[in-house]
Amino acid sequence: MRIAAFLPELLRHLFKKPATVDYPFQKLAVPKDFRGTPYLRPELCIVCKACERDCPAEAIEITDVDPAEKRFKMIIHNDRCIHCAQCVDSCPTTPKAMQIDSLYEIATDDRHKLKAEWVFARAVMKPKASAPAAPAAPAA
Amino acid sequence: MAVLRTFLYLLVYPGLIFLFVYSTFCEWFDRKVYARLQNRMGPTHTGRFGLLQPIADFLKLLAKEDVVPEAADKRLFSVLPAIGLAVVATAGLLLPVWNFDLARPGWTSFPGDIIVILYLLSLPTLILFLAAWSSTNLFSTIGGSRVLTMLFGYEVPLFLAVLSPAILADSWRLAEIAAFYQARPLLLLPNLLGFFVALIAVQAKLERTPFDIPHAETEIVGGTFTEYSGKKLALFRLTFDVELVVASGLLAAVFMGGFPGGAVIGFAHFVVKTLVVIFLLSLIRALTARIRVDQVISFSWKVLAPLAVIQLLAIILLKGFLS
Amino acid sequence: MSFQIPIGPQHPALKEPISLRMTVEGEVITDADIRLGYNHRGLEKLAEERTWIQNIYLTERICGICSHSHATCYVQGVEKLMELTPPRRGLYIRYLVSELERVHSHLLWLGVAGHEAGFDSFFMYTWRDREIVMDLLEMISGNRVHYAINTLGGVRRDLDEGQKSKILEGVATLRKRSEYYFRIGATEPSFVARIAGVGMLSKERAIALCAVGPVLRASGVARDVRKEDPCAVYDELDFNIGTADSCDVLGRVVVRVKELLESYKMIEQMVKGLPDGDIVAKAPRKAKPGETVSRYEAPRGENIHYIQANGSDKPERLKVRAPTLANYPATVEMLRKGFIADIPLIFAAIDPCICCAERTVTLVSARSGEESVVRMSDLRRRALARSGNAPVKGNAVWPF
Repeated sequence: MRIAAFLPELLRHLFKKPATVDYPFQKLAVPKDFRGTPYLRPELCIVCKACERDCPAEAIEITDVDPAEKRFKMIIHNDRCIHCAQCVDSCPTTPKAMQIDSLYEIATDDRHKLKAEWVFARAVMKPKASAPAAPAAPAA
Repeated sequence: MAVLRTFLYLLVYPGLIFLFVYSTFCEWFDRKVYARLQNRMGPTHTGRFGLLQPIADFLKLLAKEDVVPEAADKRLFSVLPAIGLAVVATAGLLLPVWNFDLARPGWTSFPGDIIVILYLLSLPTLILFLAAWSSTNLFSTIGGSRVLTMLFGYEVPLFLAVLSPAILADSWRLAEIAAFYQARPLLLLPNLLGFFVALIAVQAKLERTPFDIPHAETEIVGGTFTEYSGKKLALFRLTFDVELVVASGLLAAVFMGGFPGGAVIGFAHFVVKTLVVIFLLSLIRALTARIRVDQVISFSWKVLAPLAVIQLLAIILLKGFLS
Repeated sequence: MSFQIPIGPQHPALKEPISLRMTVEGEVITDADIRLGYNHRGLEKLAEERTWIQNIYLTERICGICSHSHATCYVQGVEKLMELTPPRRGLYIRYLVSELERVHSHLLWLGVAGHEAGFDSFFMYTWRDREIVMDLLEMISGNRVHYAINTLGGVRRDLDEGQKSKILEGVATLRKRSEYYFRIGATEPSFVARIAGVGMLSKERAIALCAVGPVLRASGVARDVRKEDPCAVYDELDFNIGTADSCDVLGRVVVRVKELLESYKMIEQMVKGLPDGDIVAKAPRKAKPGETVSRYEAPRGENIHYIQANGSDKPERLKVRAPTLANYPATVEMLRKGFIADIPLIFAAIDPCICCAERTVTLVSARSGEESVVRMSDLRRRALARSGNAPVKGNAVWPF
């Protein structure tokens, strides 16, 4: 038992720089492998639907657009996404068609705005240098 | 003209407006020091260095919905915050910053004002108890009983500690006590023990850690303030800020040689000395954990009160030796 | 004057909803009653409709603080069912994350204990230091809270040399700071006065009431799954079980501090002795029919998952016994004869994770307020009758 045991430590910190990061004005760098928002590289996707099947949050939805031309639509519901990156792990292509970036400030005022969608033609197993023209337009 | 002067005195300086501004500044200082001691930033973004944060908090509370509980004694419940603020603001008028003229005792500086200021500083505690009791909430009731229990602990040591310098100075008027110690600064040293006793008692009176028992949020939610919201809570918070200023001003006047040098230099003395006292109070707040109400009582009667009595005896002996 | 005070379901001392009804006499508690069920999420039922892989992420979300504990406990069980042997490097990384999580959980708890006792400086300093271990976990796994490092048959992320040296560096800083802060925290008189002799739980009562984890160890019983049923890597590591004999909240603080220091030791051993090789073995999608019980020493105590497989790619049944649930009976015992001021401290001392422990249903009659216990079959019969009689709902859709 010492009276005022904390005193030296407190006084030492009085003129030190605070440990707080002044968040919206200052940002910390995220690590290399940070699991942010998933996105699709449509030129590589072979539509095996492994990501849709394994997604724990059912945030990935793949639908047919035009079966004759093998065109598909993929929607990532970022409002349901739990950022586990299982879709990236499940993706069988090399390089992976499902990717995850390090964006973490994705909050909006409306959950509908968090939907990202891609309409694309299915890639063949070996990705060619010039992938078929894909209107990769994530709906903002 | 005299009426206008009185009004200015009551409302502007050193009355409500000045006390409001200065007490919010003191709250900012307290919060900033507390945060920096804990390696945090404290208020930063409202105004320069976050100086306007306490005012912003006050205005925010004013704008909030004001709920009066169905079962409460509505008249008492509503009027108590205003009375509390009035009482501590009145106590603020008695500080010898604005009445330094020794020859002309006025209605804010008279023999015995030290007793009056101590009395006025005790009243908020009773008002808190009444507020807690009138709101009829269970947590408030427990808080109210804790307020009173604590009052019996710290009040006696505070009185003994504050009165011993007065005994040495042989006066019951704050301005004269201050003038006595300004003439003989060395005599402040024997009062050092009393200063620390009074510091701890003031900490208890202001209900700050380790004595924030009546509104210990992790135990009894808001304690005495559980049912208070909006304007009434804003007034209560302001009451505590003003009480912080007045109590630290009182300690500065009695134990630190007052505020010599007329209106302007005296005011500078006032600011510096109150901030020193508030810094010490913040340090105590950061240093300790909240203790239990039974521990407060045993601490103040087994440690504080004997120390205050020793201080008093020492002062009486010293006085006999000096004369 | 005897009256009841309701602590919760909404109360500043509780971070999650639970109801503690305290009968108090002045400031002294004469009786305590704990009521659960404010945060039931139907996790076990949900798990039956998810695949083995998806359930890793579901079990991880049972708890926010010991997320890795539940996921590891589940993964251990499923690997037993699938007869999978994860590679040793994968196991080392998995339990390395376990120990880092224990460090972060205990530092968090120490801060909370400081805050409950009104000792905010202690709170701020421990939580500032906790950021170090949170950053390490983020670096290893890619997320601060839900690490999601486990997968069936190993782990998902490997460690490189740079990360290893960063872990060692972080642990060295943490050890120095922890030792310093606990030395001064344990000598601060106002803090010690609040926690010494509070919430007594004798050794006999602790065993009789089936307390687990630091609560049990603070009553002088050295019981730890890592030592008694050493899974995977723990029998290769050199560590001790931290115990205390004081049986009070101070003892629980001491036990957690000892565990922190042991965890630092284990982390260093694991990083230095990290074997080479793969990190994951290929897992099948289906498990053979069977059942298993998996035990894991979470920061809060022994965590048990019971898993039953029916041969499909989904579990037949997943039963979770979170450590907090095991500590509730002991909490009631500890709260009796205490002061009102001690409630938050005693309750926080079991490190409650309330929604982890939500596995109960109380049936209260809306008319009389009477509570009843019914058999599961009866409950099911009633549910069927109710859903049969219920009007057909409109097309319920997700709100997109």
